[in-house]
Amino acid sequence: MSTLSRKCVPFTPFERTLDKSTIAIVTAGGVHLKEQEAFNIADELGDLTYRVIPPDVDSSELMVTHHHYDHADADADINVVFPLDVLRDLAVEGFIAGIAKKHIGYMGYTMQLKAMYEGTAPEIANEIDKGSRADAVVLTGG
Amino acid sequence: MRGVPTVLITVSPEVSAQMRPPRALYPKGFKIGNSLGRPRMRELQRQVLRDALTLLTENTRPGEYVTREYPDYGEQYEPPKVKAGAG
Repeated sequence: MSTLSRKCVPFTPFERTLDKSTIAIVTAGGVHLKEQEAFNIADELGDLTYRVIPPDVDSSELMVTHHHYDHADADADINVVFPLDVLRDLAVEGFIAGIAKKHIGYMGYTMQLKAMYEGTAPEIANEIDKGSRADAVVLTGG
Repeated sequence: MRGVPTVLITVSPEVSAQMRPPRALYPKGFKIGNSLGRPRMRELQRQVLRDALTLLTENTRPGEYVTREYPDYGEQYEPPKVKAGAG
């Protein structure tokens, strides 16, 4: 087993109600804006970078670059891995208060686990913590 | 850093469990690439997201995942297994 799994669970309590909470999405599904640089799928070691996705984009402006899962369904409807429109629906119905100011896409395939764990992951957490005003985060993979 | 509560939606529960996520939902039988369901099944997608978010408010066991069934999804898929000795 990995040493990661032997660490204590980094559990942060949720002390609000959902209808007063703003939610962010962080996905390992390789989602990014079409106008952003694509993830580097040519590098066998993977790509340690991430993309910040603003809250007001049209979901048709999003795409997937990831070669370790079949993203044909995400190509047809990005919400199957990056539920931005679904979050909007939940905000309209009052289930949540709103959408965070930043969302994150990265390519969850890497041979550089230590760099991902010690570099990319804290950078993403910091991005959400400092700039998104998220009260909670939904994580998705591919 | 103050820390932000998270909930994971996983279609590879055994693999995800190795990382011991604080909270996780496994929509049973969903295939990889369908974390929220199938394309344009918006009501199903909403229900999965509501269920995931609701885990934030419940007494879940950190490091374990909760399985929910969604018959509307249709054909079911076996999730990937953790290979012996992997992880």
